[in-house]
Amino acid sequence: MASVSLRKLEKSYGALRIVKGIDLEIQDGEFVVFVGPSGCGKSTTLRMVAGLESISDGEIRIGERVVNKLAPRERDIAMVFQDYALYPHKTVRENMGFSLKVRGVSMKDAEGRINEAAEMLGIAHLLERRPGQLSGGQRQRVAMGRAIVRRPQVFLFDEPLSNLDAKLRGQVRTEIKRLHQQIGTTIIYVTHDQVEAMTLADRIVILKGGDIEQVGTPDEVYNKPQSVFVGGFVGSPAMNFAKAKVQNGALAFANGDRLPLSSLASAKQGLADGRDVIVGIRPEHFVTHADPAMTLAAKIQVVEPLGSDTLVHFAIGGEMLTARMPPEMRPEVGSELRLGLDPTKVHLFDAVTERAIA
Amino acid sequence: MTTQTIATSDRIEKAQPGWVKLLDMSDRALAVLLLTPAAVLLTLIIVYPVLRLGYTSFFSLSLTSGLPAEFVGFENYQLMFTDPVFWETTWNTVLITLITVPGALIVGMALALLANLPFGVQWPVRLSLLIPWALPLSFAGLIFAWFFHSEYGVVNDVLARFGIEGVIWFNSPNLAFAAICLTIIWKTSSFMALIILAGLQTIPRSLYEAADVDGAGRIRQFFEITLPLLKPAIVVALIFRTITALQTFDIPYMMTGGGPGTSTSTLAMYIHQNTVSFLDLGYGSALAVVMFALSMCVTAVYLRIIRTKE
Repeated sequence: MASVSLRKLEKSYGALRIVKGIDLEIQDGEFVVFVGPSGCGKSTTLRMVAGLESISDGEIRIGERVVNKLAPRERDIAMVFQDYALYPHKTVRENMGFSLKVRGVSMKDAEGRINEAAEMLGIAHLLERRPGQLSGGQRQRVAMGRAIVRRPQVFLFDEPLSNLDAKLRGQVRTEIKRLHQQIGTTIIYVTHDQVEAMTLADRIVILKGGDIEQVGTPDEVYNKPQSVFVGGFVGSPAMNFAKAKVQNGALAFANGDRLPLSSLASAKQGLADGRDVIVGIRPEHFVTHADPAMTLAAKIQVVEPLGSDTLVHFAIGGEMLTARMPPEMRPEVGSELRLGLDPTKVHLFDAVTERAIA
Repeated sequence: MTTQTIATSDRIEKAQPGWVKLLDMSDRALAVLLLTPAAVLLTLIIVYPVLRLGYTSFFSLSLTSGLPAEFVGFENYQLMFTDPVFWETTWNTVLITLITVPGALIVGMALALLANLPFGVQWPVRLSLLIPWALPLSFAGLIFAWFFHSEYGVVNDVLARFGIEGVIWFNSPNLAFAAICLTIIWKTSSFMALIILAGLQTIPRSLYEAADVDGAGRIRQFFEITLPLLKPAIVVALIFRTITALQTFDIPYMMTGGGPGTSTSTLAMYIHQNTVSFLDLGYGSALAVVMFALSMCVTAVYLRIIRTKE
């Protein structure tokens, strides 16, 4: 096990900067998830840690060693690829044992490690099969097994669940979490799926345009998003955003509704009159019973019953918002309700910088 | 209700014109219909000539003798056993196959690996691979006959620049044979390279990245990943190349005409000599049947290898 340190890490292709000076300290044994939309630089960063991409500037340390110029094989890492990258002509046993054979591990030791990993992942009965004879989920486990037998200092996962169907994805996600609890090795995991990030990570690194937007625990990024981007990216359905203006100690919405600043968390008080803000409210933070001062007039547009909840889509001014309501609540489409807000869960962002107002 | 529906569909069936029934034919009937033109064509241009060849091989039929065709059974085949030129040309053919097929495979593999490197501009590399393949065999023969010419050939010129005395390539059976083999390898390795290159491009990059992470160096990656995954492409290339090697004609014909003597003559050249030059169609057909059988045997062996792998 080892810590990983990224200092001013950069990657450019000509004039195009893909990764723009990332600074990050990953603790020994930590499970860190890089998440962000396509093109945010998360996979490139992971590949730079693996040594599969050269770095343009900065420094990568694994443990105490600077590994900038080391080949992947010298970094003591193991990687699970998006397409699993299993050798199709080798059996599962040969796939898992390949790195051990290359490194000159004795046959007896290698067999022991392969069997142990196969037992752990429930693939012991598949050891003599070839990848072509396995299902997607089984291939995924073999790819993890290949990484585990190495006993590396750091595991790298590059969107390992993206080729699986939704049901299997949930199942394997749990297995990865269990695996980390068992072996405790440092893991860097890349995904574009915020649910994977929230469920797996000790800390989430949210990337946007080659830069870190926010680093924090799942609770922190969910409860205290530092930007509109993070607020919108984390959580499903996404956070609602509505433009408002500070007027006489209240937030004035386009439809004429007003929320008194005094009822919001203390840090949000004292905003200068006339300041434009973006109000962020998560769908699950609308309530049916609230202080009448903390309600918004909602003209119901669409109602989606999900069984466990009902999603109610409504308009405030020109903006569409979504509320997650109790399952028994089925408002009429076209009707107008007053939906309450949990005042402690209202987020304010600067309308210009889109950063959170502390 | 059900009875009514059946009655209605019966009426519809009766009212169908012939062309609608044609559209409703079974898969089997449709397959037969679609395959028939190809089968007829193949019968006309391959099956019939091969059968006719076999039939002619049982006759004494020499157009120069002026005698009518006479059925002689296996006499033409018996004649082969005592014909030293048949044995020599067959041996030459086998030797050319044994030298040039592996030679072209090795050179072709090297060229394919080179062409698969991430060059900024790919087309000159691909073009340089295509040119030898696209060149007619007889042209290649002529070009290399000039290269190996004893007086103004480029090979002797290069040797002279290194202080080595030039040789008369086509006067010595061994040197002439070597020159022919080199030419064939040059001409055919690009074909091998193209097939292997296509195979190389189907190997996912992530396998090499996984091997990099696993700790395998370049040479190990070649033997553990590239070569095993190229096997299907290599077998296909070997089948095509071996069959054409067994039919070698143009290059030795243009370079040496089979000489000195018959030392570089191949079975195909001997067949050509008997049928076209001597107009001995009976013996020529028997020789052609032997070459056909040889090609079939080699193909069967390769196909067996592929099937075993599968």
